[in-house]
Amino acid sequence: MDVVLETDQLGKRYGNRWALQDCSLRLPAGRIAALVGPNGAGKSTLLHLAVGLLRPDAGAVRVFGAAPYGNTSVLAEIGFVAQDTPLYRDFTAAELLTLGAKLNRRWDAALARNRLAELGIPPRKPVGQLSGGQRAQVALAIALAKRPRLLLLDEPVASLDPLARREFLQSLMGSVADAGTTVLLSSHLLADLERVCDYLIVLHASQARLIGAVEDLVAEHRQLVGPRHDGEPIAGVSAVVRASHTDRQSTLLVRTDGVVVDPNWTVREVSLEDVILGYLADGEARASHAEWEVPA
Amino acid sequence: MIWLTWRQHRRQALFTLAGLAALAALLVPTGLAMRNRFADLGGPECVRQLARSELTPGVVESCNRAFDQFSNQYGAFNLVGVLFLVLPLLVGLFWGAPLVAREVEQGTHRLVWTQGVSRRRWAAVKFGLVGAGAAVAAAGYGLGMSWWLAPLTQAERQGRFDVFFFDMQGLVPVGYTVLAVALGIFAGTLWPRMLPAMGATLAGFLALRVALVEFARPHYMAARTRTFPVESDSPMPHQAHGDWVLANGVRDADGTMVAANAQIACPPGATGPTGGRCGAELGLEPGAYNWQLYQPADRYWAFQYIETGIFVALAALLLLLAVRRIRRIA
Repeated sequence: MDVVLETDQLGKRYGNRWALQDCSLRLPAGRIAALVGPNGAGKSTLLHLAVGLLRPDAGAVRVFGAAPYGNTSVLAEIGFVAQDTPLYRDFTAAELLTLGAKLNRRWDAALARNRLAELGIPPRKPVGQLSGGQRAQVALAIALAKRPRLLLLDEPVASLDPLARREFLQSLMGSVADAGTTVLLSSHLLADLERVCDYLIVLHASQARLIGAVEDLVAEHRQLVGPRHDGEPIAGVSAVVRASHTDRQSTLLVRTDGVVVDPNWTVREVSLEDVILGYLADGEARASHAEWEVPA
Repeated sequence: MIWLTWRQHRRQALFTLAGLAALAALLVPTGLAMRNRFADLGGPECVRQLARSELTPGVVESCNRAFDQFSNQYGAFNLVGVLFLVLPLLVGLFWGAPLVAREVEQGTHRLVWTQGVSRRRWAAVKFGLVGAGAAVAAAGYGLGMSWWLAPLTQAERQGRFDVFFFDMQGLVPVGYTVLAVALGIFAGTLWPRMLPAMGATLAGFLALRVALVEFARPHYMAARTRTFPVESDSPMPHQAHGDWVLANGVRDADGTMVAANAQIACPPGATGPTGGRCGAELGLEPGAYNWQLYQPADRYWAFQYIETGIFVALAALLLLLAVRRIRRIA
């Protein structure tokens, strides 16, 4: 299995706050991976480390086996669209494509022009006057024209309306499917990505909590409902992700390593969203009551 | 990269060219008019005569009259010239400060630094071209000002060596401009927002300029002293001579300063209003003499080179630091 992106106990610190800590993950080639987590979980930091904008403070990140920081040969293999799809707003779309052509050794001008023509994006209008969806498409076209082997997208659809989101993701999938490009796209909303992604990385509180192929993750997790549970092991369950209790009954989200046959438990299948929410709810800080000086 | 730099800065370049053209439209006609008038009044001949060490009283008087006449007509232009002192600062504010600050403020650094060009190359080309453009514009400005200011400085009986006159012309505007641009770029890497970067550029540039003029420039080379008697046939050394007088005064025979910031000259045997000897009211003993600490006029270009060199070296240092800072911005 080819690994495109690999991090090993990766950490990045801003002042004395760790934006990303002890993060180890591997992204296999050919996957469309979702990087999911709440705002501030470290998604952008991870992507910036991967594209070489940031230098790690701890651990290592490797893209195609090389450290990306200050490494233009790795940069040539990565297409990156930053959050809010920044573009020079006084440039026209055609000028932005010229920029890409001038700054990249490998550049597929025809691909970019065809994409933008098909999407009906005016070539001679400053991109500052285009809609958010059109700007995102221009940014994506610049990234794709590099013919990257890894495409990193930081919240590409966050600022788009639902229709533009769907169009953006559809056109993205259409263009990476044939080329076999590995894609990692971040979002704080899973709903955006559920349809298109087959791999999942959940970041929470600066750490990677869950990594794996979507179908495996859904298959491995189960919801168990049964009598009140106080932590004793259950056959077939490798870990309890999340538990909620009433006086007599417990509801557990568990990761299984076999079949749960215990007749005390009612076993239900879970959706991908249930799994992710289960991991995100875990470890939520409760310090704010003290900080606000009110009783919890 | 060169295409990108031109595309991003062409508007500034055109504005600057238009500004220089407007400046030329103002300076060329007025400069020609001043030169003609100065020649009519016999200014150039006066300058030649006054530069001699042996002066005759008649020449000084008639020349001063000509100079006064010229100053009455054109002296207001000196204020215009002083206004031009802010031009290098403007270039720093509008060329230098936004160079990094605007990229980071608008997030476009994440676009341009993730294409196939390294940040170091990006910085080298952008800093190099913008700095060179600013330097060329400043060189044109400095040479033009040297030509325009010549009659004004001479008529004001100031050397071109004096503060303000020195700063407006010759090579130093190049140094100031390059420094202002470098300072703007560096400030933009420290505070990647337009307004703080511009504010820091403004404050830093003024502080550096004042500090160098006040504390460093008089000491670029060891100053010379000159003494001349209180009572003498020949008039005082004329200031149109072009020396930069750093300090003057009247000293006693044993060398103690009697009257700082003063010079006295009397014809031999002249008496003061109370009938005493020349200078007796000031308590001058016989043997007192005038004293000057000065930088000779022929060091003008040496001082221009030294000051330009200092500013260009500081600019290079700032750009180096800016390149280092850029590697840490994400």
